[in-house]
Amino acid sequence: MAEHVGIDLGTTLSGLAYLKSDGNPEIVPNADGERLTPSVVYFDAHEDVKLVGSAARDGGDPDRTIFQIKRHMDDPEHMVEIDGKKWAPSEISALILSKLKRDCSRIIGEINEVVITVPANFNELARKSTIAAAEMAGMTVKRLVNEPTAAAVYYAHNQGIKGRMLVYDLGGGTLDVTILEVGADDIRILTSEGARHLGGSNFDELLLAAYAEQYQKQTGADLYSDERHRRRVLQAAEDAKKMLSKLQRVNDTIANDKDGGIARIDLTRDGFEKLVRRMLTRTIMLVEQALDDVKLKPADIDHVLLVGGSTRLPKVKAMLEKYFGKPPRTCGNVDECVALGAALFAKKSARIQEVCNASYGTLAMIYNATTGEEKLQNSVVIPKNTPIPCSRTQMYLTSEDNEKLIEVDITQGEDQDPRFVDVIGRLSLEVPPNRPQGCEIAVTFSYDENQRVRALVVDKQSGRSREVAVNYTGAGILSDEDLKRRTHHLRAMRIE
Amino acid sequence: MFKRVLASLSKSLGGSKPTPAPQPASAAKPATPAPPPQPPAAKQNAAIQKAAAQAKAAVQEKVPASPEEMCGVTAKMTKDQIGTQLKMLYRRYNRGASSLDAKVRAEADQMLDAIVAMREKTFGEL
Repeated sequence: MAEHVGIDLGTTLSGLAYLKSDGNPEIVPNADGERLTPSVVYFDAHEDVKLVGSAARDGGDPDRTIFQIKRHMDDPEHMVEIDGKKWAPSEISALILSKLKRDCSRIIGEINEVVITVPANFNELARKSTIAAAEMAGMTVKRLVNEPTAAAVYYAHNQGIKGRMLVYDLGGGTLDVTILEVGADDIRILTSEGARHLGGSNFDELLLAAYAEQYQKQTGADLYSDERHRRRVLQAAEDAKKMLSKLQRVNDTIANDKDGGIARIDLTRDGFEKLVRRMLTRTIMLVEQALDDVKLKPADIDHVLLVGGSTRLPKVKAMLEKYFGKPPRTCGNVDECVALGAALFAKKSARIQEVCNASYGTLAMIYNATTGEEKLQNSVVIPKNTPIPCSRTQMYLTSEDNEKLIEVDITQGEDQDPRFVDVIGRLSLEVPPNRPQGCEIAVTFSYDENQRVRALVVDKQSGRSREVAVNYTGAGILSDEDLKRRTHHLRAMRIE
Repeated sequence: MFKRVLASLSKSLGGSKPTPAPQPASAAKPATPAPPPQPPAAKQNAAIQKAAAQAKAAVQEKVPASPEEMCGVTAKMTKDQIGTQLKMLYRRYNRGASSLDAKVRAEADQMLDAIVAMREKTFGEL
């Protein structure tokens, strides 16, 4: 049985690594001989089989192919419908994890317990969905670890470096920026910031638009009219993007799907960099935000580490070198280091101090004793970047006479403005009637190592209390009963 | 239901620091030594309704056209002030881009575009 196993469940690629007896991690190839498996699932129309990986990505009907499901792990309403059956994002992810488990256990033995990596900016719901996906695939999640943390663990293990490190992780779908302190035998995370929907696939979409524009100019026709052909051109655009990381100029020849003629697409690295410039500016703003979080300046960073396939773009390296005044480093294969770090993390987790990735609190009327003003605000109980696991309590007062039911919203986000935080749960507590306003209510939030939150409300006068873990509702959220039933169903499925 | 939730709790700003750990019931203290008297429930409900209506209206508001208007940048602001304003907005709307509320996500995407455009206009392109 493999003891320390890490899985990088990526937006575009997924990988599994384990810790060898010499203490070094190793990627385990899938049954197709690939070190990384495309995170794509295909539902065949003729056979009762689910294809996962390259065969799914390259082969079939786009209406039956699911790409980048990870982008929807935080969407409570997202469902994928195939042949009348609805699939939650966690179920699609479970198919990818099942493929990894089944293929890799043939090489390293049974896999029961794993560390799975998630973007640092994954919210409570996405983390919960990831744990559910692993359960459906027949694995217990020992820990979730943030992707930049896993990459830093691998880099520190490999290079033996110490000091303050900034990890710039630009993957297929998300950007994470994490600042951490690497000591002799321990790692302390200082802050993590993330940007959703900012990654390589956004660059591909911009390049696809450039293809379509050039095609239209040359032929007067539309480049694609259906999803199948759009996917093909998108793949060509992605290939061109990769070429532009090595060459200054790339030419491609492309036709549409309606005999509209052939066009020659001419792309330059300079032109591509102009296309993605604003997205890269957004990434630098996130770097600045992370530095501001911990009151550091670029010069305070000893090492800048690049993670994720999109950091292969020369412009990314040049931009970061200019900003930090030193060249960024890579940890070998930028696509594999997260899985490798996750396997190391499975063994070293006790020596890695992580922090709370978001603030948690409640909505309350905040009374300003100085001005006498009263305003509805998000009142933070656990601030972002608090070392985890942790627990914090805030005292509140009831605002009406004869309140019989205390209801507490659980919020995620640090903004004081309630519009810019998510209400991720609600807790109700019945209290004795006929009491005046101003009764004390203690609200305690605790945050575990998997970055999951629990809330406890205590009515001080009566001693009554209620505690809950955050639970979500929505079409894409599986109940415990659904989870059991679908786990059973999934284990009997043919997954290739 | 929503209004009731908001009406349930109030808190004094003077005592906004978190207490270190869960306390036993007997050890709990009010957040401030003597919180001022609370307004009558009706007045408070009106305040809550007003705040909720403003929040809703703000989300539904039409987005202004120029990046300056969207980011609240005026001609009188210094570069430092613009930088501070953009950082605050970026933090807010980057968080908004992963909101569970689709309307907030859409608003955040528009705002992020405007923030980046404003930054490039003020501080130059990368």
